[in-house]
Amino acid sequence: MIEESDILRIVEEDILRVLYERKGNLPLESVKAEIKASHSYISKAIEGLLREDLIVIEENFVNLTKNGVGRAKGILEKHLVLEDYFKRTRSEEEAHKIAHILEHYVSQEVIKNIKVLSTFKGEGSPLTKPVLAKEFLITDITIPDNELFERIVSMGIFPGNRIKLTNEIPGGIIVRVKNKKFALDKEIAKDIRVLEHSSVEILRD
Amino acid sequence: MIYSNPKFSKRVRNLKILLIGQPNVGKSSLLNALVGSRVTVSNYPGTTVEVTEARKKIDDTEIEFLDTPGIYSISDRSEEEKVSEKALFEGEANGVIIIADATALERSLYMVLQILEAEMPVIIALNFVEEAEKKGILIDLEKLGKLLNVAVVPINPLTKKGINNLLDSLLGIKSSSKGFGVVYDDHIEGAIEQICLELGKSRLPKRFIALRILEEDEHFYKYLKDRKIIGEVKEKLYEHPKVAEDISINRYGTASFIAEKVTEIIHIEKEERMQDDIDRVLLHKIWGPFITGLSFIVVFGILLYFGNFIQGFLMGLMENLLSSIKVAEHSIITVLLFQGLTGLTAGISIALPYIFLFYLLLGLLEDIGILSRFIVNAERFLKKLGLPGKSFIPLALGLGCTAPATIATRVLSSKKEQFRAASLFAFVPCSSRIAIIMGIVGFYGGIMLAISIFAVLFIAGLIWAFGIKRFVHIERQYLLLELPPYRRPLLKNVLVKSWIRMKDFVYLVIPLLAIGGIAYGILDIYNFTNTVVGPLSPITNWLRLPDVTIIPLVFGFLQKDLTGGMLVSVLGSEVSLVLTPLQIYTFGVATTIGIPCIIALGMLIKEFGFRKAITLTIASIIYGLLFAGLTLRVISFFQV
Repeated sequence: MIEESDILRIVEEDILRVLYERKGNLPLESVKAEIKASHSYISKAIEGLLREDLIVIEENFVNLTKNGVGRAKGILEKHLVLEDYFKRTRSEEEAHKIAHILEHYVSQEVIKNIKVLSTFKGEGSPLTKPVLAKEFLITDITIPDNELFERIVSMGIFPGNRIKLTNEIPGGIIVRVKNKKFALDKEIAKDIRVLEHSSVEILRD
Repeated sequence: MIYSNPKFSKRVRNLKILLIGQPNVGKSSLLNALVGSRVTVSNYPGTTVEVTEARKKIDDTEIEFLDTPGIYSISDRSEEEKVSEKALFEGEANGVIIIADATALERSLYMVLQILEAEMPVIIALNFVEEAEKKGILIDLEKLGKLLNVAVVPINPLTKKGINNLLDSLLGIKSSSKGFGVVYDDHIEGAIEQICLELGKSRLPKRFIALRILEEDEHFYKYLKDRKIIGEVKEKLYEHPKVAEDISINRYGTASFIAEKVTEIIHIEKEERMQDDIDRVLLHKIWGPFITGLSFIVVFGILLYFGNFIQGFLMGLMENLLSSIKVAEHSIITVLLFQGLTGLTAGISIALPYIFLFYLLLGLLEDIGILSRFIVNAERFLKKLGLPGKSFIPLALGLGCTAPATIATRVLSSKKEQFRAASLFAFVPCSSRIAIIMGIVGFYGGIMLAISIFAVLFIAGLIWAFGIKRFVHIERQYLLLELPPYRRPLLKNVLVKSWIRMKDFVYLVIPLLAIGGIAYGILDIYNFTNTVVGPLSPITNWLRLPDVTIIPLVFGFLQKDLTGGMLVSVLGSEVSLVLTPLQIYTFGVATTIGIPCIIALGMLIKEFGFRKAITLTIASIIYGLLFAGLTLRVISFFQV
């Protein structure tokens, strides 16, 4: 399940992106129509954006502030980097869809890692093979189930992030991602593709 | 009585306190926290850097705080240092608060040692304690205070934590207590002695002045009777041309020695490794399930032991209360009141202690971080039954009371999963059913018979679950669970969590238990209970039980905790003379398999709708009766 605070942030970022892509000055109603979320989330998100001085509303028309433009640019850039990266292994449509989900979760560090990864030829191996206690860089997640994919992403398991295998258990593995530990089914683990972290590090030099 | 005007009788004491610390150690924010909004700022003119002054009055003490520029040590090299030094040794401060940085204690201690040499009353205000802890640096404040012989107060100027303690320490500041003194190398100690002989009278300690002179602080040369002595001392120390440096090395060495003694550094990586090691055991393919099972046996041992203890106590209390009503006039109202109270009594004394203790222990396991590991271990087993690992929690809660456990099935992602898990409540004995097994079967038939009932419940549940899995399509369940780190439990967390789980039981179930008691009372008064004996005799025949035992079997559904009482009232208190052990066993199985009571049924209706709930309840009860009758026949076949 995805945290409520996450959902709110996602809606906020989607509003910023829509405003940026349409070059602002949109009626409030069409912003609401554009975003796929419940009305209570949208109004909460708009409140939050106003409070953070990212948007302004004048006579029911919404515009980005200077800060808002900056933030929207950042999100769009993330989106493009991710889209480019996933285009290598997926159809354009699919890459676009995945980038839409991931852009809300990844940090700048992850984007940096993605840029490095996109220069790397290998596709990585399933997480089930790697050695215990070694750190790996996630290169791809090939889970077909959309809901499961987003749940895993919301836990911080996505390309560009580091992952460590700490224990093996019957039917699954225990991993550490960003100081959090998870028990993962073997079926899920085999859809997480990784590269040995050190080999990527060498590439960067 | 002597009239006195407080304005004149109370003498106002003045305290002048210096704030000293490194740059960015939080001095200004501490001053704000200490004085609050009433800061009166005045600057000392004539210097480029300034001393800020602020006042605060506490009771009869007026405290004047002097905030000095941030410095790393006391010397006269920079402008800031000069200002601070002047404030320290030429003003008339009653004490010094040294703000130390817990993340870099060693560096802060250097200055502490310096100021202690001046024999000034010192309080160490330790800032950034939480940040240090996050970095794995733990400081033993008590030890530090004892070693240095000064008060050490942890503070956080932003949250105002420790500010009151600091003010308390300030009010108790003494000028007499002597702090820790650094012992220097022999050549330095010799030089100190030599200089001390040549010093005139001063407010400052001679040893301190001598050290300052050796450290080439020209401000202190004026204390010498004759400056020629410097040359003489230097000549004597020709083997150690850099005395000033030697002194600071000695002091720094002592500071780091003390810091090391009071600091414990936990390597985060080490911490992680330890956590992984624990997981290697708790999630081991054999040890994991073993420990999980054993823990639950231990939990139940505790429950049965302490639960019985509290139960006996409460029973005694409530029975006294009830007997006082019994002697009163037997009007319908009193009888109903009596029945309601009996229901309530049974609920409070049988169920409450078990459930409360159980939820408390469960909350404890959860807070320690163990419960999520148990879920992972149970997942392997539950997956075979077609249930997700997460259903472990509602099923475990079912060992307390079925009604709140039904609500707890909401953690599962689909209604289908929820219903499948809830159907197993027919086999997860709640506290009332455990009381029947221990109190009736165990009491009249022996402990082994009671344990065999638990085993039968388990087997019956397995057959039921496999049956469902055989006929219902079940989507594959993926294990995906966050494992929180192991940590020391917080009592408050545990209590709050237990209470949230208890709330449904206290506000909803207990009143319903009283109503159940009243309902049974009404049926009993109008002799309604006996009317079921004849028509339902096929059931008792199938179970090979006396016909009257149908009364506790049927009406136990109104208030499960009254089942034992009903059985005794229809058979007489010598149950073991009337029933054979096999009959006690059959009764035990028949009354414990199935959705247990009308309250649980109500909860199921609320969660899954009337039709599903009724179907499950009737099906599970019929299944229980069939199971009891069948196993009875199997056993008697082998007995003969």
